[in-house]
Amino acid sequence: MPDGSVTISQLDLELRRIRKRYGSFTAVDDVSLQVGKGQFVCLLGPSGCGKTTTLRCIAGLEEPDDGDILIGGKEVTGDPPWKRDIAMMFQDFALFPHMTVAKQVGFGLEMLGKPKAEIAKRVAEVLKAFEITSLAERKPASLSGGQKQRVALARAMITEPRILLLDEPIGALDYSLRETVMLELKMLQQRSGISFIWVTHDQNEAFSLGDLVVVMNHAKIEQQGTPEEILARPRTPFVAGFVQGNNVFHGEAGTAAGGVLRVACPVGEFLVPLADLPAPAPGAAVSFSVRAERIADRPDPTLPNRVTARCTAVEFFGAVRRHILELADGEVLKYDQFGALAPRILPGQTVDLGWRAEDSVLHDAVLQG
Amino acid sequence: MSTIRANSPAAYWLAAPAALWMLAAVVVPTLLLVWVSFWGGRAFSTASPLTFDNYLRFFSNQAYLGLVAATFGQALLLMAITGTLGYCIAYFMTMKVSNARWRTALFLAFIIPFWTSTLIRAIAWVPFLGVNGVINQALIGLGLTTKPVEAFLYSMTGVTMAQVSLYTMLAAGPVVYMLTSIQPALREAAMTLKATPFTVWRRITFPLTLPGVVIGQVLVFLNVMSDFATVATIGGNKHALLGNLVLNFYEGSQIRFAAVVAVLLMVCMLAGVALALRVVDIRKLGT
Amino acid sequence: MPDGTLLQARPAARRKAQRFGHKFRSRLTGWVLGTVTLLFLLYQWLPIFTLGLLSFSGPTGGTTFPMNGVSLHWYRELWDASIMNDFKPPLGRSFVLALACSATTVVLSVMAAQAVRGRFRGNGLFFYLLLLGIMAPGILVGFGFALLMRLLGVDPAWDSTAFVLHVTYTLPFGFLTMLAVFNRFDSRLEEAALTLGASRWTTFRRVTLPIVLPGVIGAGLFGFSLSYDEYPRSLFTTGADLTLPLAVMAQLDRQLTPELYAIGTATTVFSFVAIGIFTFAFWAMRQSLRGRQP
Repeated sequence: MPDGSVTISQLDLELRRIRKRYGSFTAVDDVSLQVGKGQFVCLLGPSGCGKTTTLRCIAGLEEPDDGDILIGGKEVTGDPPWKRDIAMMFQDFALFPHMTVAKQVGFGLEMLGKPKAEIAKRVAEVLKAFEITSLAERKPASLSGGQKQRVALARAMITEPRILLLDEPIGALDYSLRETVMLELKMLQQRSGISFIWVTHDQNEAFSLGDLVVVMNHAKIEQQGTPEEILARPRTPFVAGFVQGNNVFHGEAGTAAGGVLRVACPVGEFLVPLADLPAPAPGAAVSFSVRAERIADRPDPTLPNRVTARCTAVEFFGAVRRHILELADGEVLKYDQFGALAPRILPGQTVDLGWRAEDSVLHDAVLQG
Repeated sequence: MSTIRANSPAAYWLAAPAALWMLAAVVVPTLLLVWVSFWGGRAFSTASPLTFDNYLRFFSNQAYLGLVAATFGQALLLMAITGTLGYCIAYFMTMKVSNARWRTALFLAFIIPFWTSTLIRAIAWVPFLGVNGVINQALIGLGLTTKPVEAFLYSMTGVTMAQVSLYTMLAAGPVVYMLTSIQPALREAAMTLKATPFTVWRRITFPLTLPGVVIGQVLVFLNVMSDFATVATIGGNKHALLGNLVLNFYEGSQIRFAAVVAVLLMVCMLAGVALALRVVDIRKLGT
Repeated sequence: MPDGTLLQARPAARRKAQRFGHKFRSRLTGWVLGTVTLLFLLYQWLPIFTLGLLSFSGPTGGTTFPMNGVSLHWYRELWDASIMNDFKPPLGRSFVLALACSATTVVLSVMAAQAVRGRFRGNGLFFYLLLLGIMAPGILVGFGFALLMRLLGVDPAWDSTAFVLHVTYTLPFGFLTMLAVFNRFDSRLEEAALTLGASRWTTFRRVTLPIVLPGVIGAGLFGFSLSYDEYPRSLFTTGADLTLPLAVMAQLDRQLTPELYAIGTATTVFSFVAIGIFTFAFWAMRQSLRGRQP
C-alpha cells in the first residue's frame, strides 16, 4: 500500500479485488490497488501478466467478473467507458485515420457537447502546448511516430480527465526518442495533476517514472511500492528475478538468531536478515536475493556470505563491468564491478566472491504460494 | 529485392499477354460500338458515312427516354435497398457475431449462392411469384388476401425482389472487407473519448467503411443498369430496361440503334463510376 | 479500507440497472441486425430450395405447388431428352470452356500480378485496364465483340470467340485475387532465397509459388465458376452450339416445365461440388504448407 494515511477524498482510483476470466484462462486475479490524487502509477510485468487487461477494466473496455472499481470515490464497475472520468492512450496511438489532427484533438470536447468556438480555442491552445500547431490540418498517415504520440496525448489530455490510462505509450517510438518523451510526460503529469496509470514491460520506464510501481505476474500483483522499495527489497523471487541485477538463491531455512536467518543452499550457507518478516520454520523452503553491485570480489575473510564461481563472460555498461559467473551447482551469478582501477576478472578465471549479511534480502514465503 | 526487379523489362513481358487480351477483347470492341453508333446508311460496313441521326431518332422518342429514366430508377432503388440491407448484414456478421464458427457458417450461407448461376437463381424466383405461386399461396393460406395478387410475376416488383436477392452480396462484400480492417482500438479510443456507441458508428466506423459502401454501390449500380436476364426471366416481355432494348434492337438487326443504346448505357455507367471514384480510391482496397 | 468509500458506492441494484442499460441497447441492436440477416438468408435460400423441391414433383406436377407426387420423372425426361432440349452437349461444352478459362486465368493472372510487383511504368493504367473487364457489363462487351468479329469475318463459336470473351471477365477476378495474395506475401522470403544464390526463376518456382498456391487455386476457382455460369457474354458470341446457360434460357423461352428446375438443381449441385473440390484443395494446400513450417 502506498501510504496508510491516505483518505478517501484523495483517491483517484481504487480497485477492489478485481477478477477477470476468459474461459478457463484467468487474466486478472484478485487485483486490488489504490491510487492517490495525481499519482504516477506504473503497471509492470511480462507480456500476458494481466496488466493490459487491468487497464482495460479501469477504462471500462472490459468488465471484471468480480470486484469493484471506483474512480474519484464513485463506483463505476458497470459503467461503459463513455461514462467514466478517464482518457486512454493506446499502444499504437489509435489515431482516427480519417480526421485531421485538429479534428482529432477536438473530438473529446465535441463529445462533451462544447460549443464550436470554445472547442476551436481549446484545440488551438492544446496544439500550441504540445508544439504541434503546424500539424493541425495533417492526417495521421503523414505523421512520424513522435508526432503521432504527441497528437494521441493531446487528444487524451484535452478533456482533463481525472485519470489518464497509457498502454505501452512509448513502446512504438524509436529508442532515441524515448528518454526525452519520458521526461516530458513526467513533467506534464506533475504539472497537470492528472493521475497516470502507465502499463509497460520495460522496468527502466517503470522505475524512472512511477511514484508507485505495481509488478504483476500470472494475473496477480506480486509487489507494489515505490521504485526504491522494489529495487531494494523485492518481496518475491519473481520480482527479484524480473528486476535487473538481482541474484536469486533458493535454499532451506535454518535457525534464526538476532534477526538473522541461516539459509542452506547447494553452494553453501548464507546469513540473511529477517527484516520485517517472521522467522520461517526450520527446514522450510526459502529464497533470497542479492544485487549484483553489492557483491565484492576477493572478499574480506570476515564476510559471512561467500561463494566461489567461474567467470564465463564480461559485459560493459559504461563505467560498470558486469560479470556472468557460474556457481558450483551450475546456477548463474551476476557481479557488477565499478571503477576503472579495480583488478580485472577474465573469462575462465575462478574467483572468490562475498557480500555482507545485510545486503541479502529475504523473500516473503507467504507470497510464494 | 524480390523475384522481379522494379522497372525490369521482364515486367513488361509478363504484363503484355493480359494487356493485349483486354485491349483486343474489351477496349477495341467498346470503341467499335461508339463508332458503329454513328454509322449512317443501311449496310454493315466500315465505309458507312458518320451521322448523328441514330442519336436524334433515339432522343426524339419519349418511350426510349422513359426507359432511360426507368433504368436509372431501378438502379437507384436497388442501391438503396441492397445498400441498407447489405450494411446491416455485414455489420452483424463482422461486429456482432463473436463466435468464429457461427461467423464462418453465416458467411458461407451468405456467399455460397453467389457462386452458383445467377440465371438459375433468377429462374428459381419464378415458382414463387406467379398467380398460383408460393407467395400467393402463402398469403391466401394466412388469410391476408382472398384473391391472388398479380403484382409479382411479370412485374417490376417481382424483378426487384429477385434482384435484391441476387445483388445484396455485392453491396455487403466490400463493407465486410472494410469493417474487418478497422482496428478495434479505434472504436475503443472513441469510447474513452466519451462517444456513445451510435456516435462511434456515425463518426468512426461509418466513415471508415465508406469506401466499401461506395464500391458496393458501384457494383450494384453497374449490375442493375446492365441487367437484362433477370428482367427477361421474371419481367417477361412486358417490361424492359436499357439492356433489354439493346438486345431487342440486336435481334431485330437494328445494329446501329442497338449501338446507340449501348453507348448511352456505357456513358451512364461511366458517369456513375467516375462519381464514385471521386469519393474513394479503388486501388486502396487491394492494399 | 476507509469507511467513506462505502457511503459513496452506489447500491448494487442501481449498478445492475446501469449495467443493463447500455448492454441492453447493444444487445437489442444485435438482435435487430441478426433478425434482418437471418430473414435475408431465408429470402436468399428459399427459392433455391423450392427449385430443388419442385424438380422432384410428379409427372403431372406443374411449375409451382402442389407437386402432385414425388418422382424422378423430370430428371428422366432430362436424361432421355430429344435433340431439341437435350442439355447434355451444352453441359459438356460449358464444362470444357470453364476448364479452359480457369487454366488461362491462372497463368495470365499470376503473370500479371507478378508484373505489377515489378512496379513497371504504367502499372496503374494496367490495373485499370484489367479492372475494366469487371466493370464493363457483359452485354456491352459481348455486343461490341460480336460486331468486331463480324467485321473481321470470324464466325462466333463457343470454343473460340466465347472463350476469348469469357477470359476478359474471369482474368480480372483472378488478377485481383493474386494481387491481394502478393500484398500479404512477405518478400523477405524471396530475398532469403536470392541471397542463398537461387536464380530469380528458381526462387519464384521453389519459394514464391508454393506459398501463394492457395491464391492460385482461388484464381482458378474464379475462372471456372464465372465462365461456367456466364450468360450475357455468351449470348452474342457463341453461335449455333449453345453453352448451358444459353440452353437453359432458350428452354425458358420455349416453355417453363419442371424439367428446367431439374437442370437448375443439377447445375447448382454441380457448382457446389466444384466449390467443394476447390475448397478442399485449398484447405489441403494450406495444411501441407503449415506442415512444412518448422
